[in-house]
Amino acid sequence: MKLPETQVAVLETASADDPTPVEQIAEDTGEPTAAVSGAAFELEDQGLLTTTERTETDLVLTEEGEDYAYDGLPEHLLWVGALSNDADEEPIELGQALGPAGLGDDQVEIALSNFARKGMGTIDSGTIEVNGDFDLESDPERTLLEALRDDDDLRPEDVDEDALAGLERRGLVEQRERTTREVELTDEGVTALMEGVEVAETVGQVTPELLTSGEWDEVEFAEYNVGADAETVNGGKPHALREMSERVKDVLVGMGFEEMQGPHVDADFYINDCLFMPQDHPARNHWDRFALEEPARMDREDLPDDLVEAVENAHRNGVGPDGEGYHSPWDEDFASALALRGHTTSLSVRHLAGIADGDIDPPQRHFSIEKAYRNDTLDATHLLEFFQIEGWVMAEDLSVRDLMGTFTEFYEQFGITDIEFKPHYNPYTEPSFELFGRHPETDELIEIGNSGIFRPEMLEPLGVEADVMAWGLALERLFMLATGAEDIRDVHGTLVDLEFLRNEEVVY
Amino acid sequence: MPTVEIDPDELRELTGHPEKDNGTLRSELFALGLEYEGETDDGEFELEFAPDRLDRLSVEGVARSLRYQYGEDRGVYVPTTNDAEWTIEVDADVPDERPYVTGAVVRGLDMDEAALESLIQLQEKLHATMGRQRAKGAIGVHDLTMLKGQVAASGGEDTPEEEADPRTEIASTGGGKSVQYTGIGRREDRFVPLEGQRDQTPQEVLMGHHTAHKFADLVEDYERMPAIYDDIGLFSFPPVINGKRTEVTEDSRDLFIEMTGTDQWTIDHMLNIVCYALDARGGRVEEVEVQYADDAAGDYAGNTLVRPNFDTKTKTVDHSDVESMLGIDLDGEEVVGLIEQAGLGVDGIEGADQEDDFLSYEVEIPPYRVDVLHPVDVIDDVGRAYGFNELEPRYPDVSTVGGRHERSRLERAARTALVGMGFEDLLNFHLISEEANYDRLDVERGSDVLGGGAPAVIQEPYSTDYEIVRTWALPSVMMVLGNNTHRSYPQDLAEIGLAAEQDDSEPTKMAERQSVAAALARNDASYEDAKARLQALCRAFDVELATPPTDHPSFISGRTADVIIDGQQVGVVGEVHPKVLVQYDLEVPVAAFEFDLDALR
Repeated sequence: MKLPETQVAVLETASADDPTPVEQIAEDTGEPTAAVSGAAFELEDQGLLTTTERTETDLVLTEEGEDYAYDGLPEHLLWVGALSNDADEEPIELGQALGPAGLGDDQVEIALSNFARKGMGTIDSGTIEVNGDFDLESDPERTLLEALRDDDDLRPEDVDEDALAGLERRGLVEQRERTTREVELTDEGVTALMEGVEVAETVGQVTPELLTSGEWDEVEFAEYNVGADAETVNGGKPHALREMSERVKDVLVGMGFEEMQGPHVDADFYINDCLFMPQDHPARNHWDRFALEEPARMDREDLPDDLVEAVENAHRNGVGPDGEGYHSPWDEDFASALALRGHTTSLSVRHLAGIADGDIDPPQRHFSIEKAYRNDTLDATHLLEFFQIEGWVMAEDLSVRDLMGTFTEFYEQFGITDIEFKPHYNPYTEPSFELFGRHPETDELIEIGNSGIFRPEMLEPLGVEADVMAWGLALERLFMLATGAEDIRDVHGTLVDLEFLRNEEVVY
Repeated sequence: MPTVEIDPDELRELTGHPEKDNGTLRSELFALGLEYEGETDDGEFELEFAPDRLDRLSVEGVARSLRYQYGEDRGVYVPTTNDAEWTIEVDADVPDERPYVTGAVVRGLDMDEAALESLIQLQEKLHATMGRQRAKGAIGVHDLTMLKGQVAASGGEDTPEEEADPRTEIASTGGGKSVQYTGIGRREDRFVPLEGQRDQTPQEVLMGHHTAHKFADLVEDYERMPAIYDDIGLFSFPPVINGKRTEVTEDSRDLFIEMTGTDQWTIDHMLNIVCYALDARGGRVEEVEVQYADDAAGDYAGNTLVRPNFDTKTKTVDHSDVESMLGIDLDGEEVVGLIEQAGLGVDGIEGADQEDDFLSYEVEIPPYRVDVLHPVDVIDDVGRAYGFNELEPRYPDVSTVGGRHERSRLERAARTALVGMGFEDLLNFHLISEEANYDRLDVERGSDVLGGGAPAVIQEPYSTDYEIVRTWALPSVMMVLGNNTHRSYPQDLAEIGLAAEQDDSEPTKMAERQSVAAALARNDASYEDAKARLQALCRAFDVELATPPTDHPSFISGRTADVIIDGQQVGVVGEVHPKVLVQYDLEVPVAAFEFDLDALR
């Protein structure tokens, strides 16, 4: 029979007729007690050994008890001190006794109360007189303390009951329960020993050979320190902001929105003119838009003539019988100039105009989460590039209430409730609203988006006859709200710290 | 967004509500759409305004809006005007680039410091908005008593009615005093500018005056300088600066206002806003005639305009459109009430004998409202008066089917595969410097290698760090490696993102693609490691990969291959050349690949 090393040692040390405590075996074999216990249980499972448990009570001196066992009880020291100043003849000042007694501050009280209790003398209004006949040697408390000091194995039943109770009350002795496990060989155990027991080898790792040879059944696996730190593994993760974008996409797809994509570099015509933004609008001067030096403009013939004509007409004359246009210049050169899109509403325009995906009929819901570009200064919340969440709903009749209902539903998915709608101005929507909501953590009222119903001057040239409501917000804003990130520069871009990406909590 | 500073004491005085405390005013202003941003040292409110209601750029205009909100004013108010005594004559010398002028006289003002400040702020804010930094419209306000008018030349010719622009009027007889809007040479005349000590030519003013030089750009290309003369001489050099002689002070009681610009409608409406503000201060507005000579530039040659033009305009608003936009049922009287509460008027109601659904309102728009272009703007005002936040949100009863764009699904799947292989997913800027995009990787712009294409170049970038759109994604990945040399290795990084290069065959002149870039940085990174992962990716998407040897300046020769997927050359894979690694202070080898995402389709 092959058994692991510890088990072999336990088996060989145990006896068939005399229960042996586990501690004893541990001492004899030189194995740790825990390992011996473990091995004993294994052997019991195999029927080679029986284990029995017995509860015993030990008497243990406390730290204070141990001190007194060596130095003497405080009341005894007081008695001796007093006697040295002849307090057996007449009372002396307490101070005269305490000095020679050498008691610590915390011991004086103890000494005084026990001195009186044991009838070692009298203490009266600051004086002390001792009973010269008192025999320190026969004080049972002292006897017990010294006995416990000299013998670990004393049991409660072996000692003076009153003295034990006294010392326990004084916190000098504790009774401690202890479980002793004893083992005894069974007949099978004896047989096995007679037939010979060999030590099985210890292995570090499960190997293919071990498994195929069947040897695994007879080996012992070396123990690991399973609590120790393991090597750091940096598994790959999707970028935190991408994860946020995925989550928002899930929500929007769930709400029936279909995703749009389209060019980052586009003609100002699609970025601004189609949005009924006058060409001299402050946002269209070169400081705010990312105009391209090269390629500088689209070929005019690549812009649809009828659309250009309709858009120019809306800018100059407005739409509808009562419409008015802008009193601003409009020229095709500016319209065909190329720029990095300042908002992804250019994608909405391309879809609404039927350029991106053919003509569309209501009802429609579309969204995109794509980059937009702002020629602005960089700070903790603004980058030159950001992800704009853009969404719109097209239907025959849409009201402000529908707009409010849609956005209330959307933001609730992110824990933002109590949406307020602040009337606002955008050149391409009327009515327009800035959206404010309560921050889920701080409860502050914060701006969380911009929305509105597209103006007829925008929709009519695009050939849209139904109502369209739209909104936009920066994904980064939602990300910062949801994660508590404070500086977007740490998240997005080449300055990112890999430690951040490796340790950032996942978004789901 | 721009801000306007409003003194709450002035607001209390002008609205006639001394009892309103600052908190109450602030919430009432928020309801108007004027968001409280903070306070100045003098205790004035800083209010953020949306650039539609330019009539609220002064305390007088804000007070007027509040009185409508309180329900104390209703309907349209038009100040009465006195007949013109002054004429502005426009001659043929006026610069072609700035042909238009308008003006008004306001008398009997009791200007105090606050009123003067408010007027100056209103000018500034109008310059910044409608005036497009004075390019489109510039305002000059003068002390009328300092002007000496010549007797006007023989009035403008009568304009035949049928030829007249609807916004112009036939000349009435002027009151006999006039100023001249004309054009002069840069050194032709001299005047003392505001805050100036001595007389200077326009050219000297442009070169040397501490505020005027900011506007030098505006007249840079003008052959002649705009100039306004009275009997005494040059007193205004629009759009640059006024003369010192006619400077307005707290003692000024009568003002002469002139505005010049590139669009008559724009300056006329800027003038209306200023006149309404001064009317609220107790001034009496007096008309001014603008006489364009027959040979003057612009659309009004030969016409005489009487300004300010306080004519109202009319928009027809259907009751059903109001209900449909707000999503609620209203009766006709309510709508009329809301229109009047918004400071608009109702001139007439069509279909009054029918059900509410067939009503339509002839809505009168006051002349200071420059934002009302279409009936929807009136409906917005009705909604604001009703209180948009009173409306109950409802989820629209519209069924649509949602879904992801195919490329977005592909991108997600490829990213998931890369992350599954242990790559850290990156998100970098699309904008980059030329140096980072080309030079650091030893790629020549215009060469025929991956990343060598011509980029989209930003016009006048703020920072050279962001001057082009990247032509490939690997440079961004390398920058992240370079910024993280203090972090533990291995560093396996990947990014799927935009790369773009010029392409004349595309309508937008740019070929934009999603590029997959990946780099393995570790002690023993080799070509094989990169190719192994590329292969795994290709296997996952069931496409055929071939890697014939090639040369690419960023990679070690002999350890570089083209990425050919299903027969198309779509990228490159290899060991990054040490000359590139040292650019990023990297001390470990890097194996990398980059290819078009579309190849995995």
